[in-house]
Amino acid sequence: MTNRDSWTARLSEYVDGELAADERAELERHLAACGECRTIVADLGRLRDLSGALVDREPARDLWPGISARIGGEARALPLRRRWTFTLPQLAAAAAFLLVVGAGGAAIALRDGGPAAAPGTVTIGSAEAGAVSVAFTASTSFDGAVADLERVLAERRERLDTATIRVLEHSLQTIDRALAKARAALATDPGDPYLNAHLAETMRRKLNLMRRAVTLAAAS
Amino acid sequence: MDDPLPAVASQTRTGPDDAVDVALAQSGDPQAFERLYRMHVARVFSLARRMMGPDTAEEATQDVFVRAWEKLGSFRGEAAFGTWLHRLAVNLFLSQRTRVGRDRARLDPTDDALEHRAGRAPRPELVMDLDTAIGRLPEGARQIFVLHDVEGYKHEEIGSLLGIATGTSKAQLHRARMLLRSHLEPQAKERM
Repeated sequence: MTNRDSWTARLSEYVDGELAADERAELERHLAACGECRTIVADLGRLRDLSGALVDREPARDLWPGISARIGGEARALPLRRRWTFTLPQLAAAAAFLLVVGAGGAAIALRDGGPAAAPGTVTIGSAEAGAVSVAFTASTSFDGAVADLERVLAERRERLDTATIRVLEHSLQTIDRALAKARAALATDPGDPYLNAHLAETMRRKLNLMRRAVTLAAAS
Repeated sequence: MDDPLPAVASQTRTGPDDAVDVALAQSGDPQAFERLYRMHVARVFSLARRMMGPDTAEEATQDVFVRAWEKLGSFRGEAAFGTWLHRLAVNLFLSQRTRVGRDRARLDPTDDALEHRAGRAPRPELVMDLDTAIGRLPEGARQIFVLHDVEGYKHEEIGSLLGIATGTSKAQLHRARMLLRSHLEPQAKERM
């Protein structure tokens, strides 16, 4: 095996930056003297760029009818109904969750409305500069998502036992209070990145809780 | 199916609308699942086309969504739905690779045409786009190339998925790149 052959096998590792420093230095000395290997390195770099720019394409025909036919029977076969209750770990997780949401709400309530960002947050703009409120932008789809989940939950509500429904409703009330406080605070300071992030996180928590409730109701 | 996720290059985020459809689909709503299909089919189909080849990509894509429907109950939302679906697709494709490769070799002796042609000077009619060329790679090299260069997996992750040594993954990747290079070269020169 010639010196060039032995290095050719390592050129991909070189392009990917996976060679040790001493190997890299030795290969670069070889490249300085070997035009063929330099060409290969350039081609491999171009291939890497092409690979990263590949575009996803839809299939030429609609595959859904075939999928629908295969899942159709199962889509109608809902699981056997059973009563469902919280286990101790689930209650503990719910309590921790309420603590987090409550702390977030309290943090908002305690804020004096000043523009200073919370520690660890990054200021991405100001209201005066026309900063976009990301969370507010998402509110429309969030409200629609919540409405959909509320509809499904209402349809399946009787599958959950009373204690579960009580815990769920209490959690949702806590989240809704946190959402109201966050929205009120944002109304006076729409560009505040902390408030936007907090609102988005609270929205996400509400969706997750409702989604889990829907799942549990479906499995009951 | 809930094992740790690799650093996939192009993960799809689950937005609020995705979350609702996942919840509805988990409750047995096929219309919500169809919306998830419409949202993610291009991503899954492209992965199937590159990993399994164009001939079986449609069937493989359907298999992924049927399997996703069956496994939806195990999706807990820790990762984005698109990421979970992508991982499910990769695992399914890799589990099918041995059977498909065996069948294909039996039915189509020219399957590894790209490799057979690599030693010759490429003729103009052999110039092909990258996706087509990927589809002509030998199976092992193709899957490693797609996972590494297109999907962003590390060699260690690929080794774990395929049950091979990291060095084998690196060697197969280099083999795939050199095969692709020999067929993309004329096209690249034409553009220059």
